[in-house]
Amino acid sequence: MGVLTIGAFPSLVGSGTLDFSFKLAEAAMAKGHKVNFWLSGNAVMMAKKGQRAFKDYSHLEKKMMELIGKGIEITVCEACAEARGYHKEDTPAGMKRASMDWYLAKCFKSERVLHIGGE
Amino acid sequence: MKLAVFLSDLRRTEDTYDRLKADKLGVILVENGIYHAVLKEGGKESPVLNKAGASFYALSDDLETRGFTAAQVNPRVKVVSYGDIIDLIMNDYEKTAWL
Repeated sequence: MGVLTIGAFPSLVGSGTLDFSFKLAEAAMAKGHKVNFWLSGNAVMMAKKGQRAFKDYSHLEKKMMELIGKGIEITVCEACAEARGYHKEDTPAGMKRASMDWYLAKCFKSERVLHIGGE
Repeated sequence: MKLAVFLSDLRRTEDTYDRLKADKLGVILVENGIYHAVLKEGGKESPVLNKAGASFYALSDDLETRGFTAAQVNPRVKVVSYGDIIDLIMNDYEKTAWL
């Protein structure tokens, strides 16, 4: 089994790409692979506490927490978060904040990297 | 190099796409990219499918979400699941790109 690192940059609302990213991560874990997940750019809002679920919008918090419970490592770009007014105390339990060094280190240690661009 | 390219949009991306070269190239159509596998314009299939030597895949969930069935997919495109995509990128291709 291998290690897959996914870097995701698309926004949470208005793009289906984060849904795709998490479903792909889930599929990788179901096959026994280790998954590292980097949220950057507008994608950092994916990992902010206190989001309200609307039936017409994608709401992935439950899925994200379920995957964390299964061992996915999710880290948020600290600078991207701070730039959007999303501070350390807004980060859900089980998630990390780090500089891009984290992402680069994970990329170098992974068998495969999928870098998903933003808007 | 064995390269898997993800296309997630119907917008023309051939500028970058046409320049891609790989010993083995897989084109994975996801999200709105699946339209390349099912729509024709002026009776012609998408130019994305003209990439010589490439293998083409389309994500079944994204086809179904948009109201298409596997029967409507271009016969040169293989319909795949999320799990199949994982096998492709972990076993069959060495690098990935998202266009």
